[in-house]
Amino acid sequence: MTLAPLTPEAMAEWSAWLRDDNAIHLSREAAEAAGFGPRRVNPGPANLALLISAVLRADPGAEFASITADFTGNAFEGDELDTTLSADSAILTRAGEVLVSAQFSRKPRDER
Amino acid sequence: MTHRLPPGQFALTESLDDRIRAISGAPARVGDLAHPILAYVGALGGLAQPIGDWARALGLGFDLGPVLGRCRIDLPGRLRTSQVYEVRAEVGEIQRKPSRRFGEADHAPFAISLCQSQGAVSILSFTMITPVRA
Repeated sequence: MTLAPLTPEAMAEWSAWLRDDNAIHLSREAAEAAGFGPRRVNPGPANLALLISAVLRADPGAEFASITADFTGNAFEGDELDTTLSADSAILTRAGEVLVSAQFSRKPRDER
Repeated sequence: MTHRLPPGQFALTESLDDRIRAISGAPARVGDLAHPILAYVGALGGLAQPIGDWARALGLGFDLGPVLGRCRIDLPGRLRTSQVYEVRAEVGEIQRKPSRRFGEADHAPFAISLCQSQGAVSILSFTMITPVRA
């Protein structure tokens, strides 16, 4: 599934929630100066949230015992990302490049 | 050696959960069960000081561009809205390692839990990788 483009406004919200003052999320100049190129960098947890939400869309009542995520690439403002789900894992990609891969361990329904 | 950070507090509100669901494309909340990323948001948002301040205090090159390689969220309890959690955090031994990207990098393992009286409800574990200043 293709997601809506990432916006600077959303990145600013995430930075505030995470109390992450790293300017690469807020300023194009800072992102460029840090070697990320001319666009703001989406915070890693925001990328993971997109992936978790995709799993929840497929199974709205899911509860997880654990989630493990590997961050292998950065997402930038304006990016249109895709999610691909399988049984217990999911990936977030941009034009085929994997940015985040995650493994999900679900709680048994009778333990809730 | 593990260094324990001063405890903090995180209020998990319905409005925050609603906004995070909206911004990340999640379905509506089922009962009071919060979006799992709140384990991450609460861990960093509820620290006694922002994570960047801790990193700088530990001598890490946070302003040179930290990298998040892997994280794990364990949910031994149920993360619920309209609850206040104590935030307990510790950082393990910082290791300096060769880095293809930076030349050398510091690896700092953090573990941050959202807790209530019965114990940890969620545990966020991650290693912050920061470049070593030249």
